[in-house]
Amino acid sequence: MKREAKYEIRITRYEIRVMLKLFLWLRYLRKKKIVFLSIAAVTLSTALLIAVASLFTGFINVFEQTAVQTIGDVVLSAPTKFAKYPLLIEQLEQTSAVQAATATLTSCGLLHLGRGNVRAVNIWGIEPDRRAKVTEFKQFLRKQGPSDKQPSFDVPDSPQVIGGFVGIAVIAEPNEKTDEYNYSTIDQMLGQPVVLTTGTIIENRGQRTEDRRQKNLTSDFKRKTIRFTIADIVETGVYDLDKRFVYLPIEKLQEILYPNLVPSETEGVDGRLANQIQIKLADDVQTDAALVQIRGVWQSFIEKHLGADPYLIRFTGIETAKQMQSQYVAELRKQMGVLLLIFGVVSFSVVVLIFCIFYMIARLKQRDIAIIKSCGSASSSVAFIFLGFGGCVGMIGSGLGAVLGYIITKNINIIEEWIRIIFGLKLWKSSVYMFSKIPNEVDWASALPIMLFAVIAATIGTAIPAIVAARTRPVEILRYE
Amino acid sequence: MYKILLATRYLVKRHITYFAVLAVALCVFIVVVVMTVLTGLVRDFKQKNHQFTGDCVVGTESLVGFAYYEDFVKLLEQTDFIEGISAVVKSYALISPLGTDQNIGVEIMGIDPVRHSRAAGFEQTLHHHKKDVERAFEPIYDPNLPGCVLGVDLALERDAKGNYDYGSSPARIAIAVTCFPLTAKGAPGRAGLGEVNTSTFYYSDTSHSGLARVDSSLVYLPFEQAQTLCGMAGPIKRANAIYIKFKPSIKLDTGCAKVATLWQKFKQEKAGEQQADLFETVAVQSWKDYRRAYIAAMEKEQTMMTAMFILVGITTVFIIFVVFYMIISHKSKDIGVLKSIGISNLNIVQLFMGFAFLVAVLGSAVGACSGWLFLRKINQIEKWLFVHFGFQLWDRTIYAIGDIPNQVEFDCLAIIILSAILACLAGALLPSWQTMRLKPVETLQVSRL
Repeated sequence: MKREAKYEIRITRYEIRVMLKLFLWLRYLRKKKIVFLSIAAVTLSTALLIAVASLFTGFINVFEQTAVQTIGDVVLSAPTKFAKYPLLIEQLEQTSAVQAATATLTSCGLLHLGRGNVRAVNIWGIEPDRRAKVTEFKQFLRKQGPSDKQPSFDVPDSPQVIGGFVGIAVIAEPNEKTDEYNYSTIDQMLGQPVVLTTGTIIENRGQRTEDRRQKNLTSDFKRKTIRFTIADIVETGVYDLDKRFVYLPIEKLQEILYPNLVPSETEGVDGRLANQIQIKLADDVQTDAALVQIRGVWQSFIEKHLGADPYLIRFTGIETAKQMQSQYVAELRKQMGVLLLIFGVVSFSVVVLIFCIFYMIARLKQRDIAIIKSCGSASSSVAFIFLGFGGCVGMIGSGLGAVLGYIITKNINIIEEWIRIIFGLKLWKSSVYMFSKIPNEVDWASALPIMLFAVIAATIGTAIPAIVAARTRPVEILRYE
Repeated sequence: MYKILLATRYLVKRHITYFAVLAVALCVFIVVVVMTVLTGLVRDFKQKNHQFTGDCVVGTESLVGFAYYEDFVKLLEQTDFIEGISAVVKSYALISPLGTDQNIGVEIMGIDPVRHSRAAGFEQTLHHHKKDVERAFEPIYDPNLPGCVLGVDLALERDAKGNYDYGSSPARIAIAVTCFPLTAKGAPGRAGLGEVNTSTFYYSDTSHSGLARVDSSLVYLPFEQAQTLCGMAGPIKRANAIYIKFKPSIKLDTGCAKVATLWQKFKQEKAGEQQADLFETVAVQSWKDYRRAYIAAMEKEQTMMTAMFILVGITTVFIIFVVFYMIISHKSKDIGVLKSIGISNLNIVQLFMGFAFLVAVLGSAVGACSGWLFLRKINQIEKWLFVHFGFQLWDRTIYAIGDIPNQVEFDCLAIIILSAILACLAGALLPSWQTMRLKPVETLQVSRL
């Protein structure tokens, strides 16, 4: 009975202490409106840091995601063209790691769109139907994207004509003020003939150089011109891709670039050339394990079918799309870190603000503190009142800051549009920042540590006032004079 | 006198004031450092763009170009306000080092190197022919071969410190350059005849303008050969632009206005000529307007950073407000005494505003000095971090930046300090104004003392 009674008394004392703290916190909050200023400062700093971290992280995520959507999960890039790619693709798709693969033959060229409009472009020879399985390519096509059929280069009513796809920004630049394309003008280019010039070294069939890096003085350099009709327009939303790329049927491109190497009927697929294979991995497969499998297939393919060419073995790159962008992404993360550090240092002044406010409260409320202590409260309990209040201010401020940061981040494109309408200032342009829209996903992985930091900073700001309050001596404060 | 004495006394005696000074100093330090670096980058970028184009450009965006440019050049040479004139052919081309199957899409610029040096500082960008620009297109290994000058990032790799290995002379590399020749109507000039013109040039020098886009995608060719490649060398020759440099005493706007007037007169005189319709797309622009698409992007970054620092500066206003609120709360007795001896409300407000001004000046001075010292050493700090930790603020293999700009501009510093002072005055305004409501009869009561 005695033990139970003691236990009950302890609980009652504990409840009283908690109630007292809550009572004082609410009272100071009501009476000292200036505390709202500290909450506002924490809110502002937290919102700024969350918005900056989210925008940067969002940009990096979209950048990496776009790379995967455009070129697949893994890219096998050979230093030179190689034959029999259908066989390689078949072997890759037989592994458990690979869901689909497609070949690409790359080159560069000059595109004449008519009326003196010339552009330097990258040419990709592709298989559009296979490509649609590996990447999100189909959804980027303006004409064929919405349809259910597989994408193709066929030009309606002209089966003999070579069809090609052209990036939207190759045809026309977005509007200077609104950064939007004039689709009605651009769509008029569908079905229009254009001329593309490119070129390559022509080697005689059967000749092989032992060292590919040595110049083959017997080869001929030839300029090649390709006339094709624009069968569709590609809009990925990434300015650099939309500005530079033209897509042609891979077999046609091979015929034009390497006419001496066009496969005969007996050779069949054995003579088909590519210099890049883009691969979509199976779901739930470990990336590292998949890369090992792909490397194994490639090695075995070279040994069995390409004469174990050491140049191909040594200089072929097999990387994930993310690994290919890693250097640039690392640089973006560094810039984000520097910016967060700068704003974090300035936000340190919030700690000073909280210190000033709570120091003032500690000084003004000395009589209250003295009375509490004279009633039996320990110094630590008094100190905890202030530390806890500071923590509460931090929690409320960081919570509101998170909400504000969320609202700003989610509506960043609307805010940017308002700034354009009100001030005539177009802040975000695809030609500068790569994407048409500002990425607007909140990065909670960054936001939660920022909020925690805000709470800790607010608590640190109240440390000295808490010590001052704890050292208050009732006998000095409560004297009549 | 009493205002200065009291303000100074409060500054020295009230330790809480030091926090306000610290907060102001911290904000000013950060803003000085960041804005100096950013302003320096924008300034360098603008300077490089200015050097690249000269003062004024008479040109067209169309690859067809415009005719009778030689007559207009002669007209410009007769004026007394122009120092250098250079006609330029611009187009897109495909270049392929012979012996490889590499194709690279580039921009070509056909120039007369001597004239272009007078108009646009071309010789400053060269490496091997900096002192003999008239031989820019003569390869050192064989001056009889037709040369071309490549943008430095086309020819060489940049190392981690941002340097290039030029070697004692350019490597002997033959480059096939292919263009679409265009007629005056914009139609292909060799339709049915292979469509394109190809010529072989030999790498004779590199050009380092400091502009990333230019250095990675521009090839300079001799003017006449570029005209031939682009189909502009017929009986009526064409060019795409005329770059002009004014004499140092001529202001940019004045010079551009004079050139525009001359151009209008010239257009009218040539109105009846065969290819006069090509004049429709020609514009006279200062270098700022001509390169605005590139410069505007950098200036927007600066604007956005300034806007973000304004938000951050609001925190400084809060701190000053709180500090002054505290000080005035504690100094109610002093205020009561001052009012009771006849000091007016306005003078009391001026006293505390003066105090705020002192805090701002002291904080700004500390922040500005610290910022200046930090900026003086910023490049050494970065080099030390790179040597010991491999850290660079900007990776020099990716960004076309040399040393981090660290010249503090007086007008930028003045604006920052003025803003800090205004922020402090704004923060102290409300607490100072509240002293007007204090009554001596209440504040000096025995029970209150």
